[in-house]
Amino acid sequence: MIGAMTPEEVGNRLLAVLGLQEGADMTVSGGGPGHARATVDVPADRWVEALRAARDDAELACDFFDWLSAVDEQERGFAVVAHLWSTRHRHGLLVRTWLPREAPAVASVVEIYPGAAWHERETHEMFGIDFPGHPNLAPLLLPPEFEGHPLRKDFVLASRVAKEWPGTKEPGGDAGAGRRPPMRPPGVPAPGEWGPPDLNQ
Amino acid sequence: MGPLPAVLGEPIRFTLNWGRRYSLWVFNFGLACCAVEFIASSVGRHDLTQLGVAPFAPGPQQADLMVVSGTVTDKLAPAIKRAYDQMPDPKYVISFGACANSGGPYWDSYSVTKGVDQLIPVDVYVPGCPPRPEALLHGLLRLQEKLAGAPDDSSGAADPGARADSSRADSSLAGLTAPVVRPLTP
Repeated sequence: MIGAMTPEEVGNRLLAVLGLQEGADMTVSGGGPGHARATVDVPADRWVEALRAARDDAELACDFFDWLSAVDEQERGFAVVAHLWSTRHRHGLLVRTWLPREAPAVASVVEIYPGAAWHERETHEMFGIDFPGHPNLAPLLLPPEFEGHPLRKDFVLASRVAKEWPGTKEPGGDAGAGRRPPMRPPGVPAPGEWGPPDLNQ
Repeated sequence: MGPLPAVLGEPIRFTLNWGRRYSLWVFNFGLACCAVEFIASSVGRHDLTQLGVAPFAPGPQQADLMVVSGTVTDKLAPAIKRAYDQMPDPKYVISFGACANSGGPYWDSYSVTKGVDQLIPVDVYVPGCPPRPEALLHGLLRLQEKLAGAPDDSSGAADPGARADSSRADSSLAGLTAPVVRPLTP
């Protein structure tokens, strides 16, 4: 196989190409034997440079753009992650950058990977992250009258506020109630915690 | 085929209902995983065409039965309403699967319509996630029973008597090869 590198070597190679300290800001994530990938953290102002280096460097040669999205890590901000793959060397790489929660923005990588256009549109509408340099940052999946950014952790899933959940409340039906605090999915507010005070009274 | 005068009576109503329930042209509004279960129930092993539900209508304008199978999102809701409006009367709707019945496992989601009955009137709900093909066949039999009892000038949804739950003391549905169809007792 051409240039078989371990995930650590792939990550360290990107750090070396960018001139960042080797070993720092890089983790190797699981996925089972043979499927681990390095995750490299780069500063937000070097985002475009990092992806271009990942694509153009001969040893990395990440020519396949797989995925770009964000993770809401609450106090730490938003992490924008790009999944890259090298079809020549058969190795993958995750490049990540951290953005602050207020006014998150990172340069668009459309001129490096044109396929990132729709991924950035979806990330923009779901998290509210701006991508200056993107030719058309219109909503992709949500209906036009939708308000808010749904994949943020502080976006309230208000269905249960407006109407009682029609299913059984506890395992074992109503007989099982009271034994332990009811489970709520993340994002669903507790009764009375959110919404107009006289709803469902 | 508009409303017929009552004086024509029982033989006409019986014949029309018999014709309608055994020649349903089905339009599968397949959205998600339940669409695959619908397809599975239409091919050889379970074969919903044995109930007379054939052919598959090329569009809503040639259909009398619309099967909504899968998750209905808020963005698609106008399209479902439009497809239902394009169907000529008499028309019937089967809501197939938990997502179409009530939003299903995605009830909390920001983008899911909590049941297709918020948009269009539904005649038969088939629960399951996904329902087995036999469940769809049972739902079609229930729909055929409902049609057997329908008055002659309405689709099943417009008649409140026919929509009432029927608890039948004897279940004489002896297998699916020879369905016994009786009008629902209101």
